[in-house]
Amino acid sequence: MITFNSKKIKSGFAIFKHKKDLIYLDSAATAQKPEIVVQAVSNFYDKHNSNIHRSIYDLGEAATTLYEQSREKVAEFVNADSQEIVFTRGTTESINFVADSWGRANVGAGDNILITQAEHHANFLPWQRLAAEKGAQLNFIKLDKKSFLLETPDLDSLINPKTKLVALTYDSNVLGNIWSTGLLEKVIQKAHSVGAKVLIDVAQSIAHEKTDVKKLYADFLAFSGHKMFGPTGIGVLYIKKDLHDHVPPYQVGGSMVYSVSFAKPAVYRDAPQKFEAGTPPIAQAIGLGVAIDYIKENLNFDELRKHEAGLTKKLLDGLQRIDGCHILGNLDMLAKSGHLVSFYIDNIHAHDLSAYLSNNNIAVRSGHHCAQPLAQLLGVESSLRVSFSAYNTEQDVEVFLDKLKEAIDFFGKNL
Amino acid sequence: MTNKLYQEELMDHFKYPRNKKKLEDPDFASGQKNPSCGDSVSIEGIVEKDSQTGKLKIKELAFDGSGCVISQAAASMLTQFCKGKFVDQVMAMNKDDVLKLIKIELGPTRLRCALLCLEALKSALQKFVK
Repeated sequence: MITFNSKKIKSGFAIFKHKKDLIYLDSAATAQKPEIVVQAVSNFYDKHNSNIHRSIYDLGEAATTLYEQSREKVAEFVNADSQEIVFTRGTTESINFVADSWGRANVGAGDNILITQAEHHANFLPWQRLAAEKGAQLNFIKLDKKSFLLETPDLDSLINPKTKLVALTYDSNVLGNIWSTGLLEKVIQKAHSVGAKVLIDVAQSIAHEKTDVKKLYADFLAFSGHKMFGPTGIGVLYIKKDLHDHVPPYQVGGSMVYSVSFAKPAVYRDAPQKFEAGTPPIAQAIGLGVAIDYIKENLNFDELRKHEAGLTKKLLDGLQRIDGCHILGNLDMLAKSGHLVSFYIDNIHAHDLSAYLSNNNIAVRSGHHCAQPLAQLLGVESSLRVSFSAYNTEQDVEVFLDKLKEAIDFFGKNL
Repeated sequence: MTNKLYQEELMDHFKYPRNKKKLEDPDFASGQKNPSCGDSVSIEGIVEKDSQTGKLKIKELAFDGSGCVISQAAASMLTQFCKGKFVDQVMAMNKDDVLKLIKIELGPTRLRCALLCLEALKSALQKFVK
């Protein structure tokens, strides 16, 4: 077996040629793009640009074929049928889609929706707003503040016949792994037993481990292209086939309809077309297909996990030796299979550390990471997050730790 | 020191903030929160009528808050600068005036930290003038 060669992988990303000193540790926000993905996008505009699903001429037919091939690639990647794959703008739009269409039609007064306390705003606000509009209740699986893992709830009381939806993040964008072994499966099983639907937000795991909608028993699944080496502006919503008749179109307009008249109600096309109104991000969808090709050809998920968890372990070891450093996350889980670490340093604001590191060409995220309720729960307004991808090296971690210590010295002396 | 962002003067204002105090019986007061990082700055002040021009002038200015170096040092520098200025002068200040004061260049995200104090000051004055 070939050992993981992050240097070779790095050479396939043009940004690291243009910015030779860049240490990019923010792949959880967005991954860098392999050259072949960038080329695929520009190649589409150069050679195939035309609208899809409506043009009869050769150019348009070729564009439609490329777009639909991309849908097939996505479907195969998550073990779904291509009919079940809807292109969206990203995870946020995918989840808003479900809340606005299926949610409005299926959640009513007195019903409840279950999420976790560790959700990104994208899987929090759509449900909070829907619940408020409908007079439904939003419930939470609690996070244990000591272990940074979700607590095992009393499932029989939390998930009941009034539960319409269970919407869960697979990996937290702040804490990383939050599910103790078997708990996610138990929650999903219980949800189905009362007739609730299950939505899984896999934005943070899609580029790090194999995702299988059938193994997850997901009814809806949401992720973004840009976190998995694809372009921005393209995301995916998986909608299980059985539900297609119960999910009204999210938007109505061009290309999603069979017949429209002044008097009679419109007749929509079948899924997935009825879920994609207007001209979609065609080049971006094609770029996402090529990103999937890239993953399949270059990254073995088992190898990748070992690589990323190795970097995570090295980082954790270094951080644990720093006085006043508080790691937000379950150390055992992160060392075993993590790809991101959030932490804060006593008395030094994360933005200041991040700005100092930036002066040394190190890109890390600082702030509340779009999870304000979680930040409030933990009592940490602002933290620093380091996240890894295939192109990161051990040297990245070493330089990061050196510069972090330098920054702490600098601010420590000056505060 | 290789750090272009954290100049000595800025760090000095962070370490020894000027005008970080409570005023007794202020004429105007306001709080502002920057939701992107949890920085907070609130401003209080006392005004007086200028004997020569009859215009309103800022007699005393104080701030309170917590957060990153940029947000707190900027508040210290801004309150120092605005003391003794006419209210309409302060109301006319903008982003560039603050950047001139703190003498650094900032990206759009970090800019919000630096402008927090001016937003607080202007919103407090606006309420007072009304």
